[in-house]
Amino acid sequence: MKKFMGFILWVLVTLILIVPVSAQASDQVGTDLVYRLKWKFNTSVAGDIYADSNGYFKQKGLKVEVKAGGVGINAIRELELGRAQFGVASADQVIQALEKGADIIVIAQLFQANPLQWIYRSDQPRIKTLQDLKGKRIGVTFGGNDDAIMKTILAKGQLTKTDVKIISVQGNALPFFKKDADLWPVYRNSQGVSYQDKLAREGEGVRFFNPQDFGVSFVANSVITTGKLYKKQPGLVNSFLSALLRAWEDAMTPEHENAVLNAVKQLDGGINDDIRKKQLAATKTLIKPDPDIKIGQIDMGGWEMTESILIKEGLIKKPVKIADRLIQIK
Amino acid sequence: MLFRRIYQFMIVYVIGVIFLWMIKLSLGLSDYVIPGISLLKDTAEEFGTGYFMDVVNTLSVTVLGQFLSIIMAFTVGIAGRKSSWIGSFIKVTAYNIQAYPIVALAPIIFILLGDGFLSRLLIASMICYFPLLLSVLGIMATPVTDIEHFYIVTGRMRWQLEVKIRAFENLSKLTTVIAGSATLAMAGTIVGEFISANAGIGYSIRIALYQSDMAKILIALFMIGIIISIYQGILESMGEHIKHRWSIVNKGDEL
Repeated sequence: MKKFMGFILWVLVTLILIVPVSAQASDQVGTDLVYRLKWKFNTSVAGDIYADSNGYFKQKGLKVEVKAGGVGINAIRELELGRAQFGVASADQVIQALEKGADIIVIAQLFQANPLQWIYRSDQPRIKTLQDLKGKRIGVTFGGNDDAIMKTILAKGQLTKTDVKIISVQGNALPFFKKDADLWPVYRNSQGVSYQDKLAREGEGVRFFNPQDFGVSFVANSVITTGKLYKKQPGLVNSFLSALLRAWEDAMTPEHENAVLNAVKQLDGGINDDIRKKQLAATKTLIKPDPDIKIGQIDMGGWEMTESILIKEGLIKKPVKIADRLIQIK
Repeated sequence: MLFRRIYQFMIVYVIGVIFLWMIKLSLGLSDYVIPGISLLKDTAEEFGTGYFMDVVNTLSVTVLGQFLSIIMAFTVGIAGRKSSWIGSFIKVTAYNIQAYPIVALAPIIFILLGDGFLSRLLIASMICYFPLLLSVLGIMATPVTDIEHFYIVTGRMRWQLEVKIRAFENLSKLTTVIAGSATLAMAGTIVGEFISANAGIGYSIRIALYQSDMAKILIALFMIGIIISIYQGILESMGEHIKHRWSIVNKGDEL
């Protein structure tokens, strides 16, 4: 027992000595930066990939490593741990982190329209009003964004859970393909395009149910950094963001399309060129739905609605004054 | 034994949480990355009971899954103990199935069995059975020469007798492996629930991960640890009891 207690003491003392050193080291931010994405490399992050591959960061004197995200990887945590200086997170992640005391700010909103939509077959009546959802079998990822969005939609349409049949989404879209579900949540610009293509080959058409068309705005991916970094090195944050947004602006133009598709293909070769092209076109409509909209523009109203949805669904307990953490850099 | 298992788990859990809190304090991390004491307490009050029931639900599948895996391991182990073509074929099949990642097999399982109880049960037994199989194969493929020689020479050896002799001579090893495989059965069930299910602690962990809620995950881990400690403690006690009974029977035979 004495030996055991000695071992525990040794572990604790070692931690006390080691951990602050790494904390101090993470305070030093030079021009070598890490930009952690939310998900794996695909057409959804075409602008981020293009910024890296075409030297936009280098032109600003920055050496940025763009790292893919994935299951279990969370940019906010990476930022707090000092492993990344910039990242991409969804609005719900940002708001939930702020409620728990994270020091993060949003410096750009990449998606002006949330790519999370529901796909349904075109042989079904078009959903024109929320009442049209009555009797539908709807796929929802319990605990996910789509769960909160769908609950808000149903409440807005004065529908209860008994008016629809909720089907749990678990990793694959089999229930939708087997016609056990009428509406299935997809990322419009990635899965949406692939599923549309797959069903087209079977002679079936599809439509998309977009919550935004029914007044439910839930903000998707945004660029984040720490409040501390912005306060200490605003110039660095500005340089990073201007390089990134310029790359995104260029990536969404027809002149750069082939170069962008090639850059994406280098990192995401798992799909065919035609699908990738369609995915890029779909991404454009979400990133820059209107030529007058500047990429990165923060939709304050959308963020406030997202916050109120999260409160209503019990995902956060109190408001986080989200407007104070949205920094629209000119 | 049961009590010792529980307090040993508590020591490990508390050390783990203190370790995390030290990192939190040293790096000045928010509750989002590592939850503090008050958040952990609030979460335990709010979700503790629900998570406990989820783990009990998972345990019910675990017990069945482990039972199924013991049957599978013994069936394959006994059938594959010979170095014949059939024995080697069975072994190759069993090894290959184990080599496939469960996430790749999961869609096939769900097409065949849906996303309910049976899928969870099958995934739990698939993850649990392989270490059992290796032990069973090892035991069943090793002759107990001193005893078996007599039956072979007298022409009374049958395969059932051979299995009995080898199992009895390695009873201690078998009970240890079976008790240890409870952890794997639990892990297998949780994986199954995580991939696709609408119930159990794996499903709750999946939701907590979607919400990036570390406090919920720590509470879930605590509940899993407590329940698995109790279950393993019970299995070990049962193992001891069986060994004791067999040794009495054995001594009785000798008399």
